[in-house]
Amino acid sequence: MKPANLVMQRVLRGGSAAIAAMIIGGASLSFAQESVAVRAAIVTGGLPVDDPNAASWSTAVPATFPMSPQVHWPNRIQEVTVQDVIVRAMHDGKQVVFLLEYRDPTQDPDDGAALEFMVGDKKAHFAHGQPMLQVEGGPVNIWFWKHKTDQAVDMTAKGFGTLKAQEHQDVKAKGTYANGTWKIVFTRNLSTDHPDEDVQITPGNFINVAFAVWDGRKDGAGELVEKGSQKAVSSWWYFRADAPPDYSGYMYAAIAVTLALGFQFVLIRKLKKGQ
Amino acid sequence: MGALGKPIILMVAMYVFLKFVLPNIPGSAPLPSSLIVLYLLLTAAGIVIFQTLSGESKDAFWGPMQRFLTGENIGGMQAIRYGVFILFPLLVGWQTYGSTAASDVPPSESRTIHPAPPGEYTGLSNPVQKTPENIMQGKGFYAAFCSPCHGANFDGKGPAARGFNPPPANFADPTTIAMLQESYLFWRIKKGGVGLPIEGAPWKSAMPRWEAELPDEWIWKIILGEYDGAHQSPRTWE
Repeated sequence: MKPANLVMQRVLRGGSAAIAAMIIGGASLSFAQESVAVRAAIVTGGLPVDDPNAASWSTAVPATFPMSPQVHWPNRIQEVTVQDVIVRAMHDGKQVVFLLEYRDPTQDPDDGAALEFMVGDKKAHFAHGQPMLQVEGGPVNIWFWKHKTDQAVDMTAKGFGTLKAQEHQDVKAKGTYANGTWKIVFTRNLSTDHPDEDVQITPGNFINVAFAVWDGRKDGAGELVEKGSQKAVSSWWYFRADAPPDYSGYMYAAIAVTLALGFQFVLIRKLKKGQ
Repeated sequence: MGALGKPIILMVAMYVFLKFVLPNIPGSAPLPSSLIVLYLLLTAAGIVIFQTLSGESKDAFWGPMQRFLTGENIGGMQAIRYGVFILFPLLVGWQTYGSTAASDVPPSESRTIHPAPPGEYTGLSNPVQKTPENIMQGKGFYAAFCSPCHGANFDGKGPAARGFNPPPANFADPTTIAMLQESYLFWRIKKGGVGLPIEGAPWKSAMPRWEAELPDEWIWKIILGEYDGAHQSPRTWE
């Protein structure tokens, strides 16, 4: 073999190794993303709609979100009990269930928790969908649970002072308390008949979700410490109900492989013919 | 070094520069992969144009590639040639699958951190004199109203900050208030998160709309206290 060919051989080897490294390196980097979403996998064989301790919850991937005291508008609070909420979810194509779990050292009648969603296509401010000065915002849908009643209230708000219970109550909730931890299950159909008031959950799409928690403890004077706007809140995060499995990607990949093979075949034939 | 070797080395060097060297140059940032691909394509196009300027260089450039593809007189390279023929369609298939598969990543949100303020807030000067008394008063207001989130040390690490996304601004960071005029801070404090334009993602900011609770004079004093406490100076056009 000629020295020139040897050089070419080495260069080609090195080049193909570098290209392979580029592809592999690029691919692995693109998957490195911080988790900011709750995902509801599809389950068959029944959802744990009123059982926060059901064994099936162990199969749902937990997502943890930090909480802050509500300082955005009066009445503010500077310190809250709950520092994080752990959220799990699953769905069966018809209903969705959320499990909210958080540490709270005391069990009080006024303990409460809520999920908040944007409604429709317009963005809404995380503080009860309060009006934004330069952007037209939309309403929010709030699912509120309170220990005293152990029920959910399906609510709507668009700005402070507009929070009200809906005429149509579509959400169910149940909480259990053990070992200093609340576990609350919220259940609703993925879609409802009231798209102007209720969040509509389309499997496969990411939607915004936020959380709020009230520790219903009382201070020395017998007053509630956390009440109304004085609560622990989160920012907007994401929620997605998984779409049913879609195998069309494999079909497209097979077509692409066939086309690439055909391209190679034609190219080499033409080169061999000296065209 | 053959006519094919130099271009390959150039492409690899270009990739290494764009991916690993450029982001480390002060004031630069990591390039998105789509931009890297675009630059590499431009480099490749330049190489092809350069190599095909004369008939001689064209043969020197395409010749080895043609010989490799047709497999004529390439000896020990034959195995690599078959490897390429197997690998190439598989890569195309993999890329196609990747681009059609549903993404597991939430939609990306590009948020402008310092969007342009409304016209009436540009160029306002602080009507409060920068005296030790006013600065001290401003720091007192800051401690009462701002420090729960922005921190007693002006570092954005107040006790109420942990749950908020985006996090409260760190004033000690030279890319925050040191880059801004006092009039900009006045606007942001007065109107809060909800006063941001759409590119500022106003629906995510927990910054209160302080105009509802604090007189303008207090806000100007807070600005004096913030700059002094964070050891920064406002940006000026002089």
